[in-house]
Amino acid sequence: MDNIMDRIPILKMGQFLLVTIQVDMYDRLAMALQDDLTTKIVEHNSKGVLIDISSLEMVDSFIGRMLGSVASMSRMLDAVTVVVGMQPAVAITMVELGLSLSGVRTALNVEQGMSVLNGLVAHEVEGADYDSEE
Amino acid sequence: MNISLIKVALRYEHDIVLARQRARTIAGLLGFNSTEQTRIGTAVSEIARNAFQYAGGGEVDFLVGGSDRPQRFMVRVSDRGGGLEELDAILEGRYISKTGMGLGIIGTRRLMDYFHIDSTPGTGTTVLLGKEIPSSAAVVTPQVLDRIAEEINRHTSQNPFEEIQQQNQELLVAMNELHQRKADLEAMNRELEDTNRGIVALYSELDEKAEHLNQANELKVRFLSDMSHEFRTPLSSILSLAKILSDRIDGDLSSEQEKQVRYIHKSAEDLLVLVNNLLDIAKIEAGKTEVHPEKFEIGNTFSTLRGMLKPLLVNPAVKFEFGETDGFPSMLTDEGKLAQILRNLISNAIKFTEFGEIRVEAETDPDSSEITFSITDTGIGIPPGDLDRIFEEYTQVDMPLHNKIKGTGLGLSLAKKLAELLGGRLTVESILGVGSTFTVSIPICYVSSAETVPKSMLPLPDVTRLPALVVEKILVIDDEEVGRYIMKGLLTDTKYRILEAAGGVEGLKTAAEQQPDIIFLDLMMPEMDGVETLMRLKADSSTCDIPVIILTSKVLDDAEQTALRKSALAVLSKESITREVVLVNIRDAVVRFAKPKI
Repeated sequence: MDNIMDRIPILKMGQFLLVTIQVDMYDRLAMALQDDLTTKIVEHNSKGVLIDISSLEMVDSFIGRMLGSVASMSRMLDAVTVVVGMQPAVAITMVELGLSLSGVRTALNVEQGMSVLNGLVAHEVEGADYDSEE
Repeated sequence: MNISLIKVALRYEHDIVLARQRARTIAGLLGFNSTEQTRIGTAVSEIARNAFQYAGGGEVDFLVGGSDRPQRFMVRVSDRGGGLEELDAILEGRYISKTGMGLGIIGTRRLMDYFHIDSTPGTGTTVLLGKEIPSSAAVVTPQVLDRIAEEINRHTSQNPFEEIQQQNQELLVAMNELHQRKADLEAMNRELEDTNRGIVALYSELDEKAEHLNQANELKVRFLSDMSHEFRTPLSSILSLAKILSDRIDGDLSSEQEKQVRYIHKSAEDLLVLVNNLLDIAKIEAGKTEVHPEKFEIGNTFSTLRGMLKPLLVNPAVKFEFGETDGFPSMLTDEGKLAQILRNLISNAIKFTEFGEIRVEAETDPDSSEITFSITDTGIGIPPGDLDRIFEEYTQVDMPLHNKIKGTGLGLSLAKKLAELLGGRLTVESILGVGSTFTVSIPICYVSSAETVPKSMLPLPDVTRLPALVVEKILVIDDEEVGRYIMKGLLTDTKYRILEAAGGVEGLKTAAEQQPDIIFLDLMMPEMDGVETLMRLKADSSTCDIPVIILTSKVLDDAEQTALRKSALAVLSKESITREVVLVNIRDAVVRFAKPKI
C-alpha cells in the first residue's frame, strides 16, 4: 500500500511554503507531510508555513497532533505556521475531543493567513531591535 | 434490534480513512447535520485507528438500532487483538499513552451519545458507539436503509479514488478468503499426506502379515501332510494287528478279548478316518489333489452310499431315504470325491438327528449343467449365527447333542473344499430345532484347465480261474518290524516261506542270494528308500525278473503311482491290506509273470 507518489504537494511562495490539504489524509500521508515540510523549510530557508485545511471535514486526534507538531517543529527551524480555513464543525469537534492545538496560529482563510505570516515575519526580521524594546 | 448497513474491514491504514468517510456519509444520509457528521466521523476515526494500531486490524460495522423513534445510528468496531489491559484507567482518564495520544477513547466518549467498550485481554476489543438520529429526520425503515445502501454505492462510484478504495476493499476480502482457502487446502493436503503415509505403512504391514500368514499356512499344510503320514503308518499296523487277532490267526480269543480287539479296531478306524480327512484337507490346500473324472450313474453312487451308511444308522426312530434318480444324466466327474462329500454330509446328518428322517435327493433340470444334491434332516439344526462358521476347520457348534457326539469338525470343511474342487458349491439352510438342509451343486461334467484322461482300471484277475500256485519264497523288505510282522501274520498257514529284510541294502542282498518268487517292498525307509531299492532290483540281472509289489502307507499321487507301476507289479496300501488282498496279488503276480516263463 505504500505509494511514494502519494504526497501532499508543498508550494513555495517566496519566503513561505503553502500547503493545501485537499484529501482526507491517512496517517502515514500526514506523517509524510510533516517530514516533507520540515525538509523544505530547511531547504528553502522558509520563514513561514501556511496550511489550508478548508477541504478537511474531519480532524481527528492524529491529524490534530500532526498539525501541532508541524507548528512546533517549524518554530524550532525559525519558521511560523499558520493553519487556515478550519470548518466550524471541525473546530467544535476538536475542542470536544480535547485537542486545543495550542501554539498553532490560525486564520479564517488563505488571504488572512498570508497577511498574518507577512506581519509575523516582518516583525521577526526586525526582531533584534524590538527585542530590547519589549 | 440492530440492522446492519455496511461493513468496512480494517486491514490497511487507508481503511481508517474509508471507515470515517463512510461514517460521515451514512450520518448525512440518516439526517445528521454537518457538525454531527464530523463528530461521528471523528469518533469512528479514533476508534478505528485504535483497532488498527493496537490490534493490527478489525472490522467496522454500521448499524441502525430500533424500528421506531428514537432510533440510533450505531457503529461497532471490533478487533481480535490482545485487548486493553488498563481499560478502567483509560476510561477514568488516568492512563498515559506511550504513543502520546491517550485522547482517543475519552474524546470519543464525549463526541457520542452512547459509548460501550468491551475488552477481554487475549480475545479482543469491541467498541459500540451510538448517536440518536435527530427527530427532524425521517424514521429509518428497511426501505430507507435500502435506499441509503444504494446511495452509498452511488456515492462511492462518483469518486474514482474512493471507487478504487472500494474495489480495494473488495479485493482485500477476496484475497483474505483466498488466503484462508489456501491455508485450509494446505492443512488438508498435509492431513492427506499424513494419512497417505499411514496407509502406505499399513499396507506394508499388511503385506508382511499376509506373507507371515502364507508361510504359516504353508507350514500348517506341510505339517498336516507330514504328520498325517506319520500317523498312518502306526495306525495301519494297529488295524492290521487287530485284524490278525480277530481273524484268530494266532489262536482263539475269549469273547471278552474279541470285544476288546473289536474296540481297538473300531477306534483305530475312527482315528484313520480323521487322519485321512486331515490329509485330504492338507492336500486340497496345497493344491495337490487331483480329480479323476469318470463316467458314472448317480443311482449306483446312491446305492453304494446306502449300503455303506446303513450300518451307521442304529437309531430306529430315524428313517433314511434316498430320492429317485431315474432319468438322470450320467455324470463325468470324480465319483470318489462326490461320494466322500455326500458321505460326510449324510454321516453328519445321522449324528445330529435323534428322530424323524434323513432324505438324500438329487435334482437337475434339462437346461442345467449341474446336479444338485440335498441332504435334509430333522435334527437339532444350527443357530443362525453359526451357519458361516460350520464350514471352518475344527468348528463345532456348542449344542446339547454335541456333548454326546464326538467329532473333529473337519467333515464339513472337507466336504466344502471337495465340492469347490469339483467346481461346485456347498450351502446350508437350517432352522434351529427343526432341521438342516445341506445342498451341494456339482457340475455334471468336470471341467479342468488341464484335461485329465480317465484312468483305465486294471481288471482284477478272477481268483477262481488262477492256475496252481508256484510261489515258494516271499521277501518282505520293510524297515519296520511291525510291518514285517504283519505280513508274516497275514501269510501264516500258507506254504510260503517268508524272508525278511530290514532295509534296502539288506533286501538287495537277500534278493540276490535267495532268489525269492515275489518281493513286497516298503517305500519309506531310511538309508536306501523303496524307489531306489526297486530301481536297483530291476537293474540287477539276477533280480530283475522278480515281481515286486509295493506295500506302503504313503499316499501316492497319480504321477508317483504311474512311475512305480512301470517297474512294480502292484502298489498296495498298508492300511487296506488284508489276507485276501495279499493272496490275490500274489496270484496275480504269478499269472502275469508265469506267462513269459512258461
